[in-house]
Amino acid sequence: MFGFWKTWKALEARGIMGINRRNADYVLKYNKRSLYPIVDDKIITKERAIQAGIDVPEMYGVISTEKEIDKLDEIIGGRSDFVIKPAQGAGGDGILVIADRFEDRYRTVSGKIISHEEIEHQISSILTGLYSLGGHRDRALIEYRVTPDQIFKSISYEGVPDIRIIVLMGYPVMAMLRLPTRQSGGKANLHQGAIGVGVDLATGLTLRGTWLNNIISKHPDTTNAVDGVQLPNWDGFMKLAAGCYELCGLGYIGVDMVLDQDKGPLILELNARPGLNIQIANDCGLTLRTHAVEAHLEALAAKGIKETAEERVRFAQELFGHIHQDT
Amino acid sequence: MRALTLHLKILITVLVALGLSITAYQIFVIGIPVTEDATDDLWNIDAKVEFVANSKDPVKIQMFVPPLNRDYVSLNESFISNNYGVSVNRVDGNRKVTWSARRVSGKQTLYYRLVLTKRYSGDKTKVKGPVFRDSIAVEGPEKIAAEALLAPIRQHSADVETFISETIKRVNNPNDDNVKLLLAGDPSTAHKAQVIELLLSIAHVPMERVHTIRLEADQPQSPELWLRSFNGNDWLYFNPESGAQGLPEDRLLWWIGDEPMVTVDGGKKANVTFSLNNSEMNAIRLAKLTDENTDANFLEYSLYGLPLQTQQTFMIMVMIPIGVLVILVLRNLIGLQTLGTFTPVLIALAFRETQLGFGIILFTVITALGLMLRSYLEHLKLQMLPRLSVVLTFVVILIAAISLFSHKLGLDRGLSVALFPMVILTMTIERLSITWEERGAGHAMKVAIGTLFAATLAYLVMSIPELVYFVFTFPAVLLVLVGFMLAMGRYRGYRLTELIRFKAFLKADS
Repeated sequence: MFGFWKTWKALEARGIMGINRRNADYVLKYNKRSLYPIVDDKIITKERAIQAGIDVPEMYGVISTEKEIDKLDEIIGGRSDFVIKPAQGAGGDGILVIADRFEDRYRTVSGKIISHEEIEHQISSILTGLYSLGGHRDRALIEYRVTPDQIFKSISYEGVPDIRIIVLMGYPVMAMLRLPTRQSGGKANLHQGAIGVGVDLATGLTLRGTWLNNIISKHPDTTNAVDGVQLPNWDGFMKLAAGCYELCGLGYIGVDMVLDQDKGPLILELNARPGLNIQIANDCGLTLRTHAVEAHLEALAAKGIKETAEERVRFAQELFGHIHQDT
Repeated sequence: MRALTLHLKILITVLVALGLSITAYQIFVIGIPVTEDATDDLWNIDAKVEFVANSKDPVKIQMFVPPLNRDYVSLNESFISNNYGVSVNRVDGNRKVTWSARRVSGKQTLYYRLVLTKRYSGDKTKVKGPVFRDSIAVEGPEKIAAEALLAPIRQHSADVETFISETIKRVNNPNDDNVKLLLAGDPSTAHKAQVIELLLSIAHVPMERVHTIRLEADQPQSPELWLRSFNGNDWLYFNPESGAQGLPEDRLLWWIGDEPMVTVDGGKKANVTFSLNNSEMNAIRLAKLTDENTDANFLEYSLYGLPLQTQQTFMIMVMIPIGVLVILVLRNLIGLQTLGTFTPVLIALAFRETQLGFGIILFTVITALGLMLRSYLEHLKLQMLPRLSVVLTFVVILIAAISLFSHKLGLDRGLSVALFPMVILTMTIERLSITWEERGAGHAMKVAIGTLFAATLAYLVMSIPELVYFVFTFPAVLLVLVGFMLAMGRYRGYRLTELIRFKAFLKADS
């Protein structure tokens, strides 16, 4: 019992945010329920982003009824690689990534050969709501398949590594690079076994990582060091993330982005309840940073100033960046 | 934000204060017992009146019945008589029932039934009585004998109380010549009482005869005569035979005065026999019954005012918030992972039908088999609704098979499955299999065990009889519960499992 109390105090001193605090002080406070559909439905997110001029993977088409499944061929056209996603899927479930096709068959990114019927069944499952949050009917989204930048080749196992930045009222608070592992099956979700690697907000240099709640510094599959990697175009990511506040209106979000080798930083999706493992990846608590942003916002509100995305990025980089990690 | 917090605090305070004060009012002011164990004796008294009616005359039977104005409360009183008109009236602190019929003949039997218990609330009513009376006129040798008896009584007594007991003692001395003369060869209790009354009247001490019934089960008995006198504050009771003072606890006052218990006009050979039995009863039910016969109607608007069938349903329903509270604590304070939020509560309710041990086995077996079927169905690439229907049907067949087998094996337990758990089981299987696919077997296992654990705990808490009684009797505690839930809604601290989850931070520190 006493040990727990000591742990509690130590975590509190480091500003580690727990689920209860995240829900009460951030998710419930800053995220208006009526705005959730914007982030929960990837199709709406995408439409909004395109309107706002924010880069997203190109959308090939949407299938919303069983009848429309017949149009699949038409949507795909001559493309040999594409991604099928449930619009309201959670945690990367139900996503089918087709890397190649020969004759009538398709090859998924993990090398599995599947038939056209299997793809149709997958879409049908998506439509019935198998992967959606509430189990209700859903739409399937067919979009551009992101090819990860070569920089990630050495520190990632299959799949697409993505970059998550937690954004509070438009201020980037913490960033993390998520690397798929063999265990995660090419998915970039931490609870499925992907690695989270902290990123310095100012420089885009990677820090140490977290894997299954432990702190690590090497990729378990490639054994290459995950820290000290310079992410290209980092300011682009930061600006993209900061701009998402205007895009969706939600005050506390996790912005998931990818670095395409041709198109640069793209927004994949937004998350209204971003996970807390990013703290382990950065070896830093969220609460101290969010409090700093909230204090800054209060000071700005007193003066009646509103900052632009660039100004917000600069503020976050100055305050939270340039971390010196001792190894 | 601060205004919201203040608002919430006020709301919580109001709810908790309201809940506590209503409960405190129920406990301390109304006096509802806190536990169910508090039982009271319940007496069932039958007085059987038998007589032979004259065939020509109209019949009128008058019988005293207990006035019930002091220590006892009647719960139910009935006059069982076929063709008789019944009326009850109060005369001089007595109650009298009058049965009347115009034309009856032959042997007649009437019943008077009284169900009573000790008065529920402790407060005593103020009593009044006479403190002076005139002497009964006596002449000749009786006068001399009485005065001869009174002289030493006066000497040996200090006040009314000792005076009366001394008188009774003297009258019960059969060797005293004066007593012999006064009794005139009739040493019956009634006659003794008459002599005592005479002696006391000369000293201007008022005295009343009271006729009591002893509350003792299965004992044939007839009314027992006691004497009482008012000392200015309270009645003092004396046994005319022994001079013992104070009415024993188990005596029920039936009537006061000199008249016989039953008088019959138009009949003869009237005879009354008593039979008594007692039972114990839950104090609250008793209070409820008492309630109908007294002016206190505090239970009118409680759940006890509902029909019994509905009460039983509510006994389960009021426990649901308790079960939900258990889940809330497990999830938000401990951080246990369960399948859905309220599925464990539903499973806990299902355990009510099956009992815990068997319930867990049944649940595990059916879920495991269901999961196997579900993974097989996965290969068939079915849509969600048809797949769910197949699983549900399979669960029904499975439960039917289990019931049949256990019945053949002579185990009644297997029959305890009801309609309700079936849907829960199906949904559990479906959600568990999705979790399995999405998060892997390990996570699914963890969630399943967490759910089962939460359900078991919720079931155990929900079936504590003391708690069920308490919440059902004092539903206002649910307000306190809501207050706690509201407070939990803004709880920001860590969950117990998070302390373990984030322990990597501490390792880095040291």
